[in-house]
Amino acid sequence: MRISLNWLRRYLDVTDTPERIAEVLTSVGLEVESMERLGEALRGFVVGHVLETSKHPNADRLSVCSVRLRPDGEPVQIVCGAPNVAAGQKVPVGLPGAVVPSSLHDPSGKPFTLAVAKIRGVESNGMICSESELGIGQDKSGIMVLPEATTVGMPLAEFFGRDDVVMELGVTPNRPDCLSHLGVARDLSAYYRIPVRRPEVAGTDGGGNTAASLTSVTVKNPAACPRYTARVIQDVTVKESPEWLKRLLTAAGLRPINNIVDVTNFVMFEYGQPLHAFDMDRLSGRRIVVRSAEAGESFTTLDGRTHAMTGNELMICDAERSVALAGVMGGLNSEITPETVTVLLESAYFDPVTVRRTAKRLGISTDASYRFERGVDPNAVDEASRRAAQLIAELSGGSVVPGVVDEYPSPIAPKEITLRLARVNAMLGTELTMETVSGILTSLGHRVTHVDAGTVICASPTFRPDIEQEIDLIEEVARMYGYNNIADSTSGSVVFTEPSAAERRLSDVTGWLQANGFNESVTNSLMDAKTATLFSSSAVSVRNPLSAELETLRPALLPSLLQAVAYNHNRGARTVKFFETGSVFERVSGDAPYTFVPGYVERFRLGMVLSGFSGDLSWHEKQREFDIYDVKGTVLSLLRSIGIDNIHLIYYDASNSLNEQSIGIEIQGTYVGLMGRCSEELTGRFKIEKPVYFAEFDLGPVLSGTGPKKFKGFSKYPSVTRDVAFVVGEEVAAGDVERTIAEAGGAIVSGVTPFDLFTGKNLGTGKKSLAFSVQVTPSDRTLTEAEIDAVVAAIVSRVSSRHGAVLRQI
Amino acid sequence: MMTDKIAEIRSRIESAARSIASSDDLERFRLEFLSRKGLIAALYDDLRTVAAEQKPAAGQAINQVKRLAEGTVESLTARFSQEKRSAGPSIDRTLPGRMVRRGTRHPITQTIEQMKAIFVSMGFGIEYGPEIEDDYHNFEALNFAPNHPARDMQDTFFIADDVVLRTHTTPVQVRLLERRTPPIRVIMPGRVYRNEAISARSNYFFHQVDGVYVDRHVTFAELKGTLITFARSFYGSGIKYRFRPSYFPFTEPSLEMDITCFLCSGKGCRICKHTGWLEVLGAGMVHPNVLRKSGHDPEQVSGFAFGMGVDRISLLRYGVDDIRTFFENDVRFLNQF
Repeated sequence: MRISLNWLRRYLDVTDTPERIAEVLTSVGLEVESMERLGEALRGFVVGHVLETSKHPNADRLSVCSVRLRPDGEPVQIVCGAPNVAAGQKVPVGLPGAVVPSSLHDPSGKPFTLAVAKIRGVESNGMICSESELGIGQDKSGIMVLPEATTVGMPLAEFFGRDDVVMELGVTPNRPDCLSHLGVARDLSAYYRIPVRRPEVAGTDGGGNTAASLTSVTVKNPAACPRYTARVIQDVTVKESPEWLKRLLTAAGLRPINNIVDVTNFVMFEYGQPLHAFDMDRLSGRRIVVRSAEAGESFTTLDGRTHAMTGNELMICDAERSVALAGVMGGLNSEITPETVTVLLESAYFDPVTVRRTAKRLGISTDASYRFERGVDPNAVDEASRRAAQLIAELSGGSVVPGVVDEYPSPIAPKEITLRLARVNAMLGTELTMETVSGILTSLGHRVTHVDAGTVICASPTFRPDIEQEIDLIEEVARMYGYNNIADSTSGSVVFTEPSAAERRLSDVTGWLQANGFNESVTNSLMDAKTATLFSSSAVSVRNPLSAELETLRPALLPSLLQAVAYNHNRGARTVKFFETGSVFERVSGDAPYTFVPGYVERFRLGMVLSGFSGDLSWHEKQREFDIYDVKGTVLSLLRSIGIDNIHLIYYDASNSLNEQSIGIEIQGTYVGLMGRCSEELTGRFKIEKPVYFAEFDLGPVLSGTGPKKFKGFSKYPSVTRDVAFVVGEEVAAGDVERTIAEAGGAIVSGVTPFDLFTGKNLGTGKKSLAFSVQVTPSDRTLTEAEIDAVVAAIVSRVSSRHGAVLRQI
Repeated sequence: MMTDKIAEIRSRIESAARSIASSDDLERFRLEFLSRKGLIAALYDDLRTVAAEQKPAAGQAINQVKRLAEGTVESLTARFSQEKRSAGPSIDRTLPGRMVRRGTRHPITQTIEQMKAIFVSMGFGIEYGPEIEDDYHNFEALNFAPNHPARDMQDTFFIADDVVLRTHTTPVQVRLLERRTPPIRVIMPGRVYRNEAISARSNYFFHQVDGVYVDRHVTFAELKGTLITFARSFYGSGIKYRFRPSYFPFTEPSLEMDITCFLCSGKGCRICKHTGWLEVLGAGMVHPNVLRKSGHDPEQVSGFAFGMGVDRISLLRYGVDDIRTFFENDVRFLNQF
C-alpha cells in the first residue's frame, strides 16, 4: 500500500519529519518497507529569472545570461545554448551539484553532475534546462519557460507538485482498515493523540429519495453481498481530472483515467472502500441485480479479457446481463466513456471469501478485490458513496440525485468484547493502568464501557474485522503502548529440559564424519518420479509440483547425493566424500514405525558417498581410488566410535540394477540399511563415469542407544601375538576364516586381524594366501610358549579342516 | 649344517651391530654383511647346495638374517644422520607434511547448530516432527481460517486433500502441546516447503528454527527478553534491535524483530532495502485458540512462540549471494566452511 504524505496531511496535522513518521508507523504495526521522495530527482533545481542575455564573445550559438536565483539575491552568470532563451523569462535552473538526468550535448545520455565551469572561456554557474533534460517531458527544442508569475527561487520539485514523500506500507492481512489514507491517519492520530480531520461529506438525502425512483437494487444472494448501495449522478461531463487529483493518484501508484474513475479510485484510497461507476444509460432497465453467475456464462472485464464462469462467482447485473464481476472488476459493457452523462455509483460490502475465491480462480487481483478479500467496513459503505458522489458532481459539473438505494437487510453491529486489566498485564508482563488501556482503545475507535475497576466492555468498530476476542484487544494495547516500551525480562522460571541422548549421538555421528574428511551436503528432497521408482515402489508424489524434476519426495538419500557427485565430477573434483542426514519418505499401509501422518512413513537417515581418489595427491603415498573397503571401514568405525557393537553384516551374493558388492547392515538384529558400490546403470543415469561407493541407513536404531558407555575390565597380563598364514581356495571368505580362528582359539583369543592377502603363481591357480595376526590374552596368568603353541595348533587344525587350508610358513 | 652357519652369521651380526659407533663403522658393517660379496650373499650362494626339501626353510632363515642386518643399517643410518645435525639430504623439510584432511559441516547446518547451542544454554530442549504433515497440524490447529490464502494450492505442496508438505515447523509445537503438559520449552529445527519458484533469493524448501515456551505466567516481556538474549548471542552483543507489531494466525500479540543491518551497519544498503534494518524473526504469544485446540486452558497457562528462517540468515552471514549455491554442494564451496 502506497501512502502519500501530502495526501495523509489532508486529514492529520502531523509535523514530524517523514523519517520520524515512518518510525512511528512501523512501531504501531504498519511497517514502512521503503520511502521515496518524489522530488528527489529535482533536488538542486530552482526557478530562475533571466534578467538579461548577451552574445557569447567566442561562440555564435551561445548566450551569456544573467539569472537571478533568489528574490533578493545577486544575479549569476550562466551560459546557455538554447535558441529561445530571452530576458524576462522564468526558467528552471540546475545549480552546481545538481544531477542532470541526461544532456542534449552528451550522446551517451548518462546523468551528469553540474559544476561551475568555463564554457569557451566564459564562466557558467549552472544550467538552464529543457523539459527533456529535467526528465519530465519530451521537448528538446529549447529551454522550458515557466509561467511569469512563478516565484523566483522556488524549488522546482515544489513547482511541479512533486515535493511529496511516498511510503510503501507492508500492511498485514489482519489490517484491512489501513488500506486507506484515512485508516493510516487513524492509527497515527491514536499515536500522536491529535484528531483526524475527516472530509466534509454532505448528506444527499435532503430532497427526498429521488434515486429510488430512478433505479432499484435486487440482491438475490445476500450472504455474498450483505450490503449494496446505488447513487445516481446526472449531467456529468467526462474529462481529465484536475492536477491535484492526478498528482495524488500518481503518488499512490494509480494511473489517472478520467474524472469519474479517478474519483472512485481516490475515495478507495481515502476510505478503503472500493467503488464502481457504471454508465447508467448503458444499464438495461437502469437497475441492478446482484446474483450468482450462471455456470458457463462468459463475461468480458474492462481490461478486455473474457472469462468463463463456474457459477460460484458473484455478478452485478442489470435487467438482462452481467455488468461487473462483484468486488473484482467492472465490465466492458457498462464502463464510463467520454459520452457518459449519467453515473450509477456502486458502493457495497461483499463477502471476503466469495471475492477471494473469484479473484483467485480467474487470476485477477485488483485494488478492489484486495480490499474486499480482507474485509471493508460494512458501515462506511454509505459515507464513501456520498463522498464520491459529491466529488464526481464537483469535478464533472453534474449533480447528485438526492437519496440512495441501500440494500442492507441485516446490519452488521460492532462486536462487544470484555477486557480485563489483570489479563492485559499478565499477558504482557506490564503494570498498565485502566486509564492507559481504555485511553488507547478509545483513541483507536473502540467504544469503551466501564464495568468495574478492572473490567471494561469494548464495542469494536466494524472496520476492524480482525478483533474477535480479548487477546485481540490486548494486542491493540501492546502495539499502541509500544512493543519497544514494554520492559524485557529474563527472570522467568527455569525449566529443566532433559538433554536428549539422541541429539548428542547425532552430533557424535556428524562430528565423526566431519573429522574424517567428509563434507556434509544438503540436497533436494524432491526428485523426478521415474528415478524415485527405482528406489521404491511406494514413493510419495506431490499433487502440484513445480516441475516434473521436482515431483516426488525422495525415498532414499542416494539419488540426490549422486546428483551432488555428478555436479562435482563435472567440475573436476578429485575426491568426493559426502554425508547427509535427512528424511526419506514412503507410502505405507497400516501402522508402521516412523509414521506420523497415517499412510506415510518418514525415516531419518544417514547417507554417504565416496567417489574419486581416496586422498589428496601427495609425494609420500601412491594415489588410489576409493573401493568397497573404504566405505565398509567408514561405516564400522563410525558405528563403533559411538558405542554400537552389535552389528551384523549381510554379504549379498547377487547384485541388482542399483548396486553391487552390497553389504546389508543390521544393528541389534534390526536391518537398517545397505552399503556397496553403485551399479554402472545407476551412475550412468547421473552421467557419472567414476565408481561411486555408498552407504545409507536409518539413524533411528543408531541414535536410540542407551546411556553412557560402560567400562569393561581388561587383563592384567601381557598379550602375545602370533602370525599364521594359510593357503586357501580363492572362494574362501576371509571373514569366515577369521571367525573360525576366533572360535577355535576360544576366549583366550582377544583379536584376529587379517594383515596380508596375495595370490601368485607359486601358490597354484585358484589359491590365495591369507595371513592373520592372532592376539592371545590370558585372563589370569602369563602364558608359556607351549600353551601359546597349543592355541595356534588348535587354530591351524580347525582352519585346515573347515576351509581346506594349508598352513604357509612365514 | 646350513642352519648352524646361518645361526653363526646371525650372532656375528648381533655382536658387530653392538660395536658400531660411527657412520664409518656402519659402512664397514654394511660391506661385511650386505655387499655383493658380503657374508649374506655367500649364504645365498650356499643355498644351492642344500637339499631341495630343506630349501624353503633355509631360504626363509637367510631372509630373516638379511632383514636383521638391513634393519640395523637402516636404524643406525637414521641415527647417525640425525647426529650430523638434521640438515642431511634425506630429510627435506620443505616437502609438504602428511596433511590430515578434515571435512566440513554444511553452512546451513552450522547456522542451525549455533542456534541450537544458544537455545539449549537457555534451557530449551530440541524436538523434531514430520515433513509430511496433515492439514490439521499445519493449519487448522494453528488458527488458520479455513479460507486462509496459505491453504491454497498456490502456496503449499499437497500430497492428498488434507496432507501437505509442512509450510513451517510450527506444527511440531502442536504435536508437543497435544502430548505433553507444561512446562514445555523447546526449539524445533527442520526443513519446510513452499510452492515457490526457485530463484537466487528463494527456494521451494528451506529451513526454520521454531521455538515455544508454555507455562504458567509466561509474558510478552519474557518473550522479548528471550529474543534479545538470543539475538545478542547470535548476532553479537553490540547489535541494535527493534520490535514491530506483526501478524501470524497462531500468535497474538505478534511481533517481528529487526536488527541493524550488519552489512551496512544500519546506514542503508540494497540488502536491507535502504531501511538499515534486517528482519530476523517472527514471534508472539501463543494464541488462546491454539492452546485451547491442543487441550490447554489459556486462563491457566500462557506461552510464547517464535520462528526464524535459517537459509536467508545464512546467506547474509556467509556473504553468499545466491541461495541455490547452498544446495549445489560444490566441494569448492563446502570446503570454505
